[in-house]
Amino acid sequence: MKVSFFSQAAYRELPDDFEQHHLSCVTTPYSLTTPSTIYDSYRDFMDELVHAARCGFDGVAVTEHGQSSYDMMPNPSLIAATLAYLTEVEGLPVAIYPMGRSLGKSREPVRVAEEMAVVDVMSGGRLIAGFPVGLSYDASLNNAVAPIESRERFKEHLALVLRAWEDSEPFAWNGTYSQYPSVNIWPRPLQHPRPPVYLTGTGNPVTMRHSLEADFGFNYFGWFGLKMTGRQVFDRFWDLADQVGVARNPFRMSFMQIIGVADTDDEARRLYAKHAEYFFRRALGAIPGEMLSLPGATDINGVRAMLRDSSDDGLFAQMKTVTFDQLVEAGCVTVGSPATVREELASYCTEYGIGNLLAMLNFGSLPRELAMNNIQLFADEVLPHLRGIWDESEHEHHWWPERLGGRPRQPTAATLAARS
Amino acid sequence: MTIDQVDLAIPAYGGALDIHVTRLGAGPALVYFHPADGFNVDPFVLDLAERYTVYAPHFPGTAPGDPYAIHAVRSLWEVVLAYQEVLSALGLERPVAIGQSFGGMMAAELAATFPGMFERMVLLDPIGLWNDDYPVVNWTATSPADMPGLLFHDPQTPDALALLALPDDHEEMIESLSRADWSIGCTARFIWPIPDKGLARRLHRITTPTLVVWGENDRLCPVAYADDFVAGIPRSSKVIIPQCGHIPQVERRLELHAAIAPFLG
Repeated sequence: MKVSFFSQAAYRELPDDFEQHHLSCVTTPYSLTTPSTIYDSYRDFMDELVHAARCGFDGVAVTEHGQSSYDMMPNPSLIAATLAYLTEVEGLPVAIYPMGRSLGKSREPVRVAEEMAVVDVMSGGRLIAGFPVGLSYDASLNNAVAPIESRERFKEHLALVLRAWEDSEPFAWNGTYSQYPSVNIWPRPLQHPRPPVYLTGTGNPVTMRHSLEADFGFNYFGWFGLKMTGRQVFDRFWDLADQVGVARNPFRMSFMQIIGVADTDDEARRLYAKHAEYFFRRALGAIPGEMLSLPGATDINGVRAMLRDSSDDGLFAQMKTVTFDQLVEAGCVTVGSPATVREELASYCTEYGIGNLLAMLNFGSLPRELAMNNIQLFADEVLPHLRGIWDESEHEHHWWPERLGGRPRQPTAATLAARS
Repeated sequence: MTIDQVDLAIPAYGGALDIHVTRLGAGPALVYFHPADGFNVDPFVLDLAERYTVYAPHFPGTAPGDPYAIHAVRSLWEVVLAYQEVLSALGLERPVAIGQSFGGMMAAELAATFPGMFERMVLLDPIGLWNDDYPVVNWTATSPADMPGLLFHDPQTPDALALLALPDDHEEMIESLSRADWSIGCTARFIWPIPDKGLARRLHRITTPTLVVWGENDRLCPVAYADDFVAGIPRSSKVIIPQCGHIPQVERRLELHAAIAPFLG
């Protein structure tokens, strides 16, 4: 089992009635901020990532969101590069995982390939690359990509990035969305055949199938409420694995969950409840549903499916006014004593076949000291109990850097063909 | 009176896609260019069909049963060429053109690319121009709850409510919503993120006599653009309809007929 620390650079001091008046992205008034709280939010975010790396997490993961108050992260390569160098200097065997580089949003795909290659080199081959299509508002409103083009752009750009990493000779790229007379990036990644790649999805079977056929890992986020969505989403993934004809290897699957640990269950609730509510009400709850799926971004058959059955959305529609009790009940958060947290997480991992856990241990308005303690307590009291979950498994981890114990494998004709 | 309706699939762009064309009515040829959410036979179109043979090309991807035709075209330029091929294949010679909103832009693009293609042209609250002082609302990113107030001067009139109403039957409602969503996504492709793709610099090429009609209270695409279109198109004039929003053919249908009848003759 690989357990990584996951973090977003949230602005932590939005006013109490924020979600009643504002969106958390695209149009959020910057006048709500002060320079010192912006600095503190960012400084603490960086310090917490470094703390996690020093505490023995297997990886440190960040996402990408432009023009967003809940994740001030226009380019995760900046953070990944900082962490890559620092952890290399300190000799920390931790994966650097910019998991949200949105290729449906990107207008400079070769630059993405270059930046990630630099991170892989700086880290001595510890990069894991996560490539989502990207949130609809981010791709289309922040970066002007027509919604109906975002998925096609994603596929084309992913194929280009992988080829830019792997091909030893310069090549011309005559794509629909970009053309380059000569692609020959310097440096190329250290890892061979390439750094591990994960796609991120919310339950769309098209994305799941793509990840399985092309032999990528798959990320799923528990924000919508794992107890509401987990059964159907993970069953869908593993059923698709059977259909595609690949093994039910748990290391394909990566799962992100908000976690709060304290000495007792009561203490955990006292410490974390209001900060969890802050996250769900003022981040996720303050994004209108239509901004997550602008017309054209979701295939017409996907729209039909969502109108017939919106259960993959879990608790999303109630987020703006959600309470801590609802969050716990739906499984949007895992909060409690070390025993409670490790039991719940171990149960999720074994039940759903999860071989990679992304622990979001700073969330919402969580202040620095609480976040640091949460990271430490999780690393000391929870992480060691999770690490051995799959030790008896027959499967190897093909989606983790070789330098950190992974067993990368060569692409086959079939996985190459499935890339685009 | 019953009006025959025929749906045609015309191969276009070297066979890359079919452009679907709905034909209805009888009389001289009139090409109707639909708005962003796709073609619907509304009372205005039925009125036209009493005097004209109405040909309504469906923008790629918006025709029922052929959603992926949108992936067969890559630019507005390709769609303009495909439309010209289809109108030519139909044997239409100098038809009248009427375009609403997005369809108004399509009609104007064709008229600018192929001067003389249309005998006369009526543009109803067309998009296609941009002025920072009176921007066009990005309806693709607008909450559905806000749309009635942007589309209509008075969203509570029976005609407005009828246009906005969803089918009672659940499956029909799903079909209606998903088609509208996809159609808006298809038409948004080539006007994204701002519906200014250079039409202002092409308007001077239009030789067709043009009537620009605008709802005085259009909150989606403000009436100030009427003057910009008239200033750009050499043989053009405008009619402003009071107490009317973005869709005169629904909100002020009788006034619209009265405005265009003298022009079309």
